[in-house]
Amino acid sequence: MAEYIIRRTLQMIVVFFIFLVTSYLLFNAIPGNAFQNLLLNPELPPDAYERVLKTYGLDKPLMERVQLYVVNFFKGDFGYSYKYFPKTPIELIAERLPRTLMLFAIVNIVAFYTGFLVGKILAWKRGSKSETWITVTSVFSYTVFYPWFALMMLWFFGYKMGWFPIGKFLYPEKWYDAPWDSDVIFVLMIKFTAIISLFQFIAYLLTRGIESLTQRRNIRFGSLLVIFISSYIFWNYGDALTKKPYAADIAYHMILPVIVVTIVAFAGTALLTRTTMVEVIKEDYILTARAKGLSQKRIRDRHAARTALLPVVTSFIFTIVTIIDGSVLTETIFSWPGMGQLLLQSVLEEDIPVAMATFSFVGVFALIAHLVADISYSYLDPRIRIKSQG
Amino acid sequence: MGKEVLVVNKLNMHYETLDGPVAAVKDVSFVLNEGESFGLVGESGCGKTSVAMSLLQLQADNAKISSGSIKLEGKELVGMTENELRTVRWDGISIVFQGAMNAWNPVAKIGEQIREAIREHRPDNTKEENTKKIEELFNIVGLDNSVMDRYPHELSGGMKQRAIIALALSCDPKVVIADEPTTALDVVIQDQILKELKKVQDLLGLSLIYISHDIAVIAEMTDNMAVMYAGSVVEMGPTANIFSKPKHAYTRLLLESTPSVVGERKKLRSLDGEPPSLINEKKGCSFSPRCPEPTKECKNQELDMKLVEVSKGHFADQCCVNCG
Amino acid sequence: MSKKITQQEELQKQIRKDALRKNWKLFSQSKLGMIGLYIVCFFLFLALLQPFLFITGIWNPAIYDPVVGYDQIKAELLVIECPKEYPTEKYESYSDCPGPGEVNIKKLYMAPDLKVGEYYDTFIQPAPPSKTHLLGTDSLGRDIFSQIMEGSQVAFVLGLLSATLGVGISTILGTIAAFFGGRVDAYLMRQSDLILMLPSLPLLFIISAFAELKVWHLAVVLGVLGGLGGSVITIKSQALQVKVKPYVDSARITGGSKWQILFQHILPNVAPLALLFMVFSVTGAIASESVLSFLGLLNIDMSWGIMIYLSQTDGFIFSGLDFWWLILPAGLAVTFLAGGFYLVGRGLDEVFNPRLRKR
Repeated sequence: MAEYIIRRTLQMIVVFFIFLVTSYLLFNAIPGNAFQNLLLNPELPPDAYERVLKTYGLDKPLMERVQLYVVNFFKGDFGYSYKYFPKTPIELIAERLPRTLMLFAIVNIVAFYTGFLVGKILAWKRGSKSETWITVTSVFSYTVFYPWFALMMLWFFGYKMGWFPIGKFLYPEKWYDAPWDSDVIFVLMIKFTAIISLFQFIAYLLTRGIESLTQRRNIRFGSLLVIFISSYIFWNYGDALTKKPYAADIAYHMILPVIVVTIVAFAGTALLTRTTMVEVIKEDYILTARAKGLSQKRIRDRHAARTALLPVVTSFIFTIVTIIDGSVLTETIFSWPGMGQLLLQSVLEEDIPVAMATFSFVGVFALIAHLVADISYSYLDPRIRIKSQG
Repeated sequence: MGKEVLVVNKLNMHYETLDGPVAAVKDVSFVLNEGESFGLVGESGCGKTSVAMSLLQLQADNAKISSGSIKLEGKELVGMTENELRTVRWDGISIVFQGAMNAWNPVAKIGEQIREAIREHRPDNTKEENTKKIEELFNIVGLDNSVMDRYPHELSGGMKQRAIIALALSCDPKVVIADEPTTALDVVIQDQILKELKKVQDLLGLSLIYISHDIAVIAEMTDNMAVMYAGSVVEMGPTANIFSKPKHAYTRLLLESTPSVVGERKKLRSLDGEPPSLINEKKGCSFSPRCPEPTKECKNQELDMKLVEVSKGHFADQCCVNCG
Repeated sequence: MSKKITQQEELQKQIRKDALRKNWKLFSQSKLGMIGLYIVCFFLFLALLQPFLFITGIWNPAIYDPVVGYDQIKAELLVIECPKEYPTEKYESYSDCPGPGEVNIKKLYMAPDLKVGEYYDTFIQPAPPSKTHLLGTDSLGRDIFSQIMEGSQVAFVLGLLSATLGVGISTILGTIAAFFGGRVDAYLMRQSDLILMLPSLPLLFIISAFAELKVWHLAVVLGVLGGLGGSVITIKSQALQVKVKPYVDSARITGGSKWQILFQHILPNVAPLALLFMVFSVTGAIASESVLSFLGLLNIDMSWGIMIYLSQTDGFIFSGLDFWWLILPAGLAVTFLAGGFYLVGRGLDEVFNPRLRKR
């Protein structure tokens, strides 16, 4: 296993290198550059444009620039943003990442869980009347034209009904006197969510060893209660209390995008789960489980769904890879200034350092996610253990 | 002798398919006494597995029991609700499946899967109690305790089969159905497994229903037996009697189609033709088309299938008693 | 000798015909598949209807051409004067006045002698649905229904072309990776990693920035990108399962060359899954195109995405239900056609995967 990981990592580095060069060349292939707009200014002194280009090194030939960039990249120097000078790309990413993370972590977890649940039930109810229309509804929510749908929802719930804010992630008015940056709040929220999830996950792992079913269920339920109570205490007393209204503001802005994206995203998982489970149901060991006298629910959840989990988890991991890519649209429509928006904007404005940095970020993320997916797949299915793979 | 543990009376079961109802079990009746083993013989597709599935009510969704009764220690199983049936399954009747290869869930350990069965019917056991129980079971079937932590794909065919037997015994059932438990194994392992089963039966006083198409195995393992053809029982009685004096033409042909290692070398008799399609029940004896020497009534499909007693405890279908 | 061969050929043909018939019967049993098929056929009909209408002269291209057609819809607007304060009994707020069918007298510079209560003849664009224009017209006077049909053509061409290309590439690559293993496999996996790493939307934007993207070009780009990306991995895992089947071993033992085995045994058994993939890819392609058009990144004349893009740039998106014909038909068309293909894929799934069948 260790050998495999090492070999894979080396390959990944090579791929990444190619990726860097390719991206850089691609960006430079776009006609024009970030500073073209200067030329529109009639009062611009004659050599100012050339000077600007020289300062940013854009006058050098392409090959030299590529070389410079790659060398600097591996040294850790990512340059400065053209647009937001003198901010470095790292600063920009650090600023925007928590926002995207918060939104899409929640979205993916909710969508994944909902999808799995719906898929499970759908597969179990094969051949019943409800199966057809549930499936058809799922399919159409999967294929609905996303920008259109998102805009409709935004318009309806935001503008017409006024229930939710129309885009953005906070009300600027509320934040005028805020002693903290939004980043601080975001980081806090992310930490909070992470701790809760981790706690629940550990509780789940620990209770696997317990024999009695009722006991197990009680303990897990108890852990949920603990989470509720401690969250309540956390937010209402102590340091977090002062941050609460700001966090609440952000959370309030998150609700609509989460709902919209979940509606579109859950169907994919649901349909995948359903397909896998239907195959599994015909297996012999399901018959054994029935013969043992287990309840339908138990068979469905512990036997059929367990095996169906494999492809679903791998697809989940791949979905995480496309978080940032998928968030481009959502963030644009909801004016949520996160990584996705940064990505698209930097490409549009030809802010090359930022664009390269974000692309690299996504790229590394994708590579690692693929590796994790391969490893976890072998873990989930004991029949597939990586011995020596390419 | 002992008391009757399982009484099946005129059981009828059919499958509903796109082409019409297919009768899989026709008027099957038999009695299983405590501590005895009962064999069910017939060629592929004759309905023996369907009978087994019906006993546990495990048949597929499109299978229906149209009439008849199955009484386990006096309790009527036909007509029970699903919840009631779940308590009977494994605790009252358990089954050793034919293909142990696929009977195990590949992503869970063996021990866990056995534990699951025990937990369902004895929810108050502690983990240690269950572990001890599994160890006892493994001891009986000749498996090492380490098997508990193994995954199914890590075991050989023989080990998986033994584990299946252990699984079947885990809730101390009253009746164990063994559905061709050794068909997929080689002869050496087969012999071992059969000896194990017999040992287990003597040890625990189990009542066993043994299903097979291998007549030799039935001869070795069972006290009473029934021969099935095209969904009906054509001959039934003590194994020894049936082997020494088979009354039904089909039984006779079955026996004569097995070569004997000892004794004179005879030409094997085989049977032409195939079992009839079970769709659309026909009148008369279903075996008559293949019967080598049918009587006039049989040929004209005049006689219906009915078991008559030819000697004490030995029944045969009235039609072919006089044939062949 | 030749008689035997033709007999064999005849037999093979018969087997194939029977198989096709059987498959069709199975497919028609799948409710989902049939629903999908109806939807796809409906849009296909729309796509073919348009040139038919033009050729037979039922429609005058000058009016009904989706891109350059133009029609002036006369309408009579009631002249009113908007109150200074809101809300009144007729209007709730400032934006409600003038309502549909009305015009504010203050805006009528061209006809100064009209008074309140009289009617003003004008041409309105966009026009609501009427007898001559089933779905109305857009802000440039072009018939919406014609645009939908044009978009249908674009969707089919784009979808099928890019899907076929993409699946063709990924099937061959995935099978090769599964079959040869080792370095070939490693290389192909890293290659698809590379494609996977590139965020699709920005990438497509970049490409559209330095290359003219017409429908055909976009189809090729989408196809190639899709084909080289993550689907290679999925097909490879499927091909791996086929590779370990006994008939592959027996093919090898009887002395088949590697390529022979690849094409005659493995590929045909991966083909059903590939076909499925293809149908699902069409869904993705249609969705991608509409998103890209919506963002204004494409150079196509007309498509459903462009329709919505136009309505957004003209500011009609948030107008609620007043100008529904500008937004709803296009959005619904995308949704339903993409969904229709998906449902067909599901029906095919049941044909190819016997374990999924009900009985």
